[in-house]
Amino acid sequence: MSAAATASLAPVEYNDDVVRKFVIATVFWGVVGFLVGVFIAAELAWPSFNFWAPYLNFGRLRPVHTSGVIFAFGGSALIGTSFYVVQRTCRARLFGGKALADFIFWGYQFFIVMAALSYVLGFSKSREYSEPEWHLILWLVIIWVAYLVAFVGTLVRRAEPHIYVANWFYLSFILTIAMLVIVNNLAIPVSVFAAKSYSLFAGAQDALVQWWYGHNAVGFFLTAGFLGMMYYFIPKAAGRPVYSYRLSIIHFWSLIFIYIWAGPHHLHWTALPDWTQTMGEAFSVMLWMPSWGGMINGLMTLSGAWDKLRTDPGLRFSVTAVGFYGMSTFEGPVMSVRTVNALSHYTDWTIGHVHSGALGWVAFITFGALYYLVPALWGKTEMYSRRLIAWHYWISTLGIVLYITSMWVAGIMEGLMWRAYDAQGFLQYSFIDSVVAVHPLMVVRLVGGIFFLTGALIMVYNMVMTVRRAPAGALAAATPLAVGD
Amino acid sequence: MDEERVSAVIIGVLMALFGLIGIFLAAGARDIEMSIFGFSLAGFAIAFIFGLLRSHYDMIEARTGEEGR
Amino acid sequence: MAFRHEVLEKNAFLLLVAALVTVAIGGMVEIIPQFFIENTIEPVKGVRPYSPLELAGRNIYIREGCYLCHSQQIRALRDEVERYGHYSLAAESMYDHPFQWGSKRIGPDLARVGGKYSNDWHYAHLRNPQSVVPESLMPSYAFLEERPLDYAHIADDLITNRKVGVPYSDEDVKNAIADLEAQADPNADHTALLKRYPKAVIVPKNGQTISEMDALVAYLQMLGTLVDFKDVPEESLDR
Repeated sequence: MSAAATASLAPVEYNDDVVRKFVIATVFWGVVGFLVGVFIAAELAWPSFNFWAPYLNFGRLRPVHTSGVIFAFGGSALIGTSFYVVQRTCRARLFGGKALADFIFWGYQFFIVMAALSYVLGFSKSREYSEPEWHLILWLVIIWVAYLVAFVGTLVRRAEPHIYVANWFYLSFILTIAMLVIVNNLAIPVSVFAAKSYSLFAGAQDALVQWWYGHNAVGFFLTAGFLGMMYYFIPKAAGRPVYSYRLSIIHFWSLIFIYIWAGPHHLHWTALPDWTQTMGEAFSVMLWMPSWGGMINGLMTLSGAWDKLRTDPGLRFSVTAVGFYGMSTFEGPVMSVRTVNALSHYTDWTIGHVHSGALGWVAFITFGALYYLVPALWGKTEMYSRRLIAWHYWISTLGIVLYITSMWVAGIMEGLMWRAYDAQGFLQYSFIDSVVAVHPLMVVRLVGGIFFLTGALIMVYNMVMTVRRAPAGALAAATPLAVGD
Repeated sequence: MDEERVSAVIIGVLMALFGLIGIFLAAGARDIEMSIFGFSLAGFAIAFIFGLLRSHYDMIEARTGEEGR
Repeated sequence: MAFRHEVLEKNAFLLLVAALVTVAIGGMVEIIPQFFIENTIEPVKGVRPYSPLELAGRNIYIREGCYLCHSQQIRALRDEVERYGHYSLAAESMYDHPFQWGSKRIGPDLARVGGKYSNDWHYAHLRNPQSVVPESLMPSYAFLEERPLDYAHIADDLITNRKVGVPYSDEDVKNAIADLEAQADPNADHTALLKRYPKAVIVPKNGQTISEMDALVAYLQMLGTLVDFKDVPEESLDR
């Protein structure tokens, strides 16, 4: 370490206020998003739950659920942790002062509330995971630029010579989401005073642009960003440096390069040109390697510290998350193979796949980070109750298992029934037969969702009690995160 | 300290602009969504600027408090 | 090795630019050619822009999130073709801003639902889906019948579509309201409407005013009906 760096070792006054706000928002939107998910799962088991038409109809509530968990819960978690991580790994206060940080926080929350309200009122662009109409997207872009300025500004004035690996992932997430959101939402409004626009693209081209966006919302929002979280909180909680610096370089560049090509696997056997489908399939299969590179780097960081899993239930969440990440990034390439996709596409298998990633990876890595952050940010030595963390862990894991297994069975059953022929060579089942057949599995899925929601409520109780009751003091065991040197 | 002040001024001016846009959107709105969005944006801008003012005076108070001690 | 990764780790702007270039490549290679390669969209006859009433109905389809349970894309697989009809062509959605291919079938595919059922069936089904399909999971859309369709600005929708590339003529824009009203009135003169929008389906308008349900049914009844596959030689569809 150079003399200049040592001289600047005086404690930096971090902006933790904004991180605390984002932590609260994460927990709040998590519960809301899971609750809406449970409700729409009930609608798919018993249609009489669509009791307040049109506002509670499935078609209007599903975007509330997807935006709620991806952008409200996941987004708040990502922005909050990125602010925590970038300040500490750069040993610099967040750029732009309190006003910019508050603008990002409240502006983002405003976006979430307005978007959810607009879906319920019946305003949607019908682009999956990007439903808000043009005016809300413009607002989001403004917030996003402010976020980029705060993040990059902090990187630029860092006191550390190196930019830590977690920040590479956060940076690529911020940049790529900006690119994706802008291109995918190119549209012309009917009038500046009307919340209605028509996409610049049409038909097959529009489909490709949307799934280039849709797949990379998964790739960069739900993967790269959360990998940034993994690269900080797992080494921190385990008290070990990242397993391999070299692997993190290879993993980073190959992941962000390959991910962007994989979108067309959402459009196999459709009217999209075949060469594009082939390209999408090939890159999806290749993507398996960098994904597992990241998983190995995360898991191996624990070598020599596996005993911590017994004593630190928060870390258990993070490590299980990496396991689920490995599982769903294997399942994804399998499903992107055209012969498999012929069966799986349009079925509940896809829904199960998404949730093994969303619940198992995204939510679990977030829970792990939250159990680390809450005591750290509120000046407590540890969480109020370890037993409750363990309860949360097991009840949500059980919920995920119920969810994904029921969706596998349902999806494969649907796929097989739709293509089944009888002895005379006619289609054996009508469409509604498949709907009836999967009903019990819809109920099992609902139960899985309720378990997961219950776990989250236990977490909320534990966190409230931590802030109110847990003994004050510095968090135990902080260990350096060495990179490169 | 300078950074805090510059940032508050820039954000404050931007928010005033957004609030104004919100009022115009609400005034010309053709549908319920645009009028809700316009009014909400204006309300949000006002509330946010109040927040900026409050933290400005909080900061002054904190500083004079320190000097007093 | 001449290049050291350290260079990127020590310069935030270099890292930013390098990451941006890396993520931009894939999308550019896949997306840009779609607009230039002529066989992205097959040359078939019959595809036309939506009539004003169909367009209004399509916007209701989008608003209610129908695409979340119904796909509009028949894949080139034997069972799908037998169940739903000829596989979808890119040309059939060339005027769709945005596309409505969907990604999940909680209900059946609708790409060729037009003409499969009577108008009366659609009205009954939208009011109370379980009355015609007892096991259906679909919510009731009876409220659509009570809401008068707001079409005062429908010409603006046509103009905006024209800006993004749909070939509506000045004539089409000028007659937008007249065409819309004619399509929801069985007693009107439909010659001009059908000349501009061949195969448009006239809906009965059960109430005093044109309802949102009328528009939605007009849209559903034209889905997948525009191309006459008897005129399309199979070789011309090779991609």
